[in-house]
Amino acid sequence: MPFQHFAKDTRAVVAAAVREEAAADGRGLVEAEHLLLALAGNPQLQHLGLDHEELASALAREEAQSLAAVGVVAEELPRASSPRSSSPRLATSAKLAIERGAKITAKRGQRQMTAQNLLLGVINAEHGRVPRTLQLAEIDIGELRARL
Amino acid sequence: MIDTQLTIPDDPADALAAVGALRRLADRVEDIAVERAVADGWSFAQIAEALGVTRQAVQKKHSRRLANTTKHRR
Repeated sequence: MPFQHFAKDTRAVVAAAVREEAAADGRGLVEAEHLLLALAGNPQLQHLGLDHEELASALAREEAQSLAAVGVVAEELPRASSPRSSSPRLATSAKLAIERGAKITAKRGQRQMTAQNLLLGVINAEHGRVPRTLQLAEIDIGELRARL
Repeated sequence: MIDTQLTIPDDPADALAAVGALRRLADRVEDIAVERAVADGWSFAQIAEALGVTRQAVQKKHSRRLANTTKHRR
């Protein structure tokens, strides 16, 4: 994972949390929504009041709702016994979020990406699961952005 | 339980989100199906044929994951 651009103190925390979130998902892919969940548990962002449990539940609701929209109700599907990869690779949504975070870092004249900058990169997605999940969790993206 | 009466939502954002959700659902079904097939003694070549993909593709996705189940079969 391209975490070399991160500020030292955030790198380890973010990388570990991201691995954990993606592994729990079982697909061997790190998506932008996994970055969001990882950052929600980051001590440096505690003041934002992002609740990890609440976001995880909103993410699950987003999934159920998206499936229901095409008429698929998938309940109580058993879980596979183990995830696909213990070292998940970055999916496009996560790469784009990190790229946006890097641009914000450069624009702010900072040398390394902080957790704040990465979160901005994550929530600045116009489409996809992150904005849909934040909306379901009733989090005002504009307000959150202003605090970063 | 999976209940289907397929419809396509009018809002493209919802329709596109459904595509992603269906892909993730398909992956989950695949993981469980492959796991059960391996437990029942299917080889990766047989699973690959049933899925219509190469044996290498099945191995790449599942062999590490199912290392414990497949240990005594290969």
